[in-house]
Formats: sequence, structure tokens, C-alpha cells
Amino acid sequence: MSNRIKELRAKEDLSQLELARLVGVRRETIVFLEKGKYNPSLRLAHDIAKHFRLPIEEVFLFDDEAAPKPSE
Amino acid sequence: MKRTIVMFVISALVVASLVLWAIKGHIAGNIQEMIMVGTSLVIVGFAVYLGILRLRSHRLQEPAEDELSKKVMMRASSLAYYISIYLWLFVMYISDKTTLEVHSLVGAGILGMAVVFLLCWIGVKVVGTKNV
Repeated sequence: MSNRIKELRAKEDLSQLELARLVGVRRETIVFLEKGKYNPSLRLAHDIAKHFRLPIEEVFLFDDEAAPKPSE
Repeated sequence: MKRTIVMFVISALVVASLVLWAIKGHIAGNIQEMIMVGTSLVIVGFAVYLGILRLRSHRLQEPAEDELSKKVMMRASSLAYYISIYLWLFVMYISDKTTLEVHSLVGAGILGMAVVFLLCWIGVKVVGTKNV
């Protein structure tokens, strides 16, 4: 799973610390998210997407090949 | 903030105990005791480092703990527990092959567990906790 947090943050000229404060986490969590070293909880993903006024799937991008296929 | 203060107080108590132990002359100065004291100081240093991180978060008006820090702690703890089982197996294996007394072996095992946790925590921090 990748994400567009860095790109969206740059568009809004928002620092990592400011975004972290807005969604109620530590700056380190935003760093980990941007580096792809952490997959957020549904709640955090929702809060971040809500802040950027975008649906979750436009902020967090699933690699179709890596995504688990639904069981038959 | 309370937990941060408790971390600093416990660290100070451990250092004070080590200093008192040394002053009272219980440290013979052999290599085994030096390793134990050194390891204890590394663990105290780790606790102080965590305390400083928490203070910095407080200064930046961030939460001291969030979902990432809790997950890192959980992943590091579970990994350390798993590795510690093998550590104790190793301690049991060497117990009859060494001249060390039982209390020294138990002390070394406990310190070893703390070191294993420290290494796991560093490892999880470096690698991340991505669950694919």
C-alpha cells in the first residue's frame, strides 16, 4: 500500500508536525506513513483523508496485485 | 507526564543502587560484573532516552503515545518474548557447563531479556511495522 500524503501535504503547504497535530498523532507517525513503513489504522486513514477532503482510496493506494483476492 | 516521571525515577533508583553497590565494595571488578553493570547502564540509558522522547513530544504538544508507538512497543514485545524463550533455553543449557552461581545466571538471563527487548525495539523502529 502506498499513499499520497507527502504530495497532498506539499499542496497545502502543511508541515509534518502540523498534519500530525491535526489528526492527533505524533510527527514520527506521519514520517513512517510517508516512508511506507507503517499502515495506518482505519480511523487514522479516515482522519487524514477527511482532512484533505478526499475519499480514503484517493489518499491510500492499494497495489491491485498485492491486494488479497476475495475468497471464492 | 506521570509515566515519564516514573521512568526517570526508576532510572535514577537503578543508577543509585549501582553506585551504592560499588561504594559498598560489592563489585569485585571482574569481567562478569563489569558486563552486568555495563548492560544495566545501557538499559537505564534506553529508559532515559524514551523519557526524553516523551518530554519532547510533550513540549511539541503531541500525544506521548499514539497508535504507531503502541504498535512498535507491541511488536517489539512479542518478538522479544519469542527470542527470550530461546535465551532461557540457552541459559539452561550452559547452567551445568559453567561455574556461575544460579543467582548470577538468573540475573544474566533477566538482563539478557532486557537487551533483547532493546534490540527488538530498535529493529522494529528501523524496519517499520508494515502489516501486509
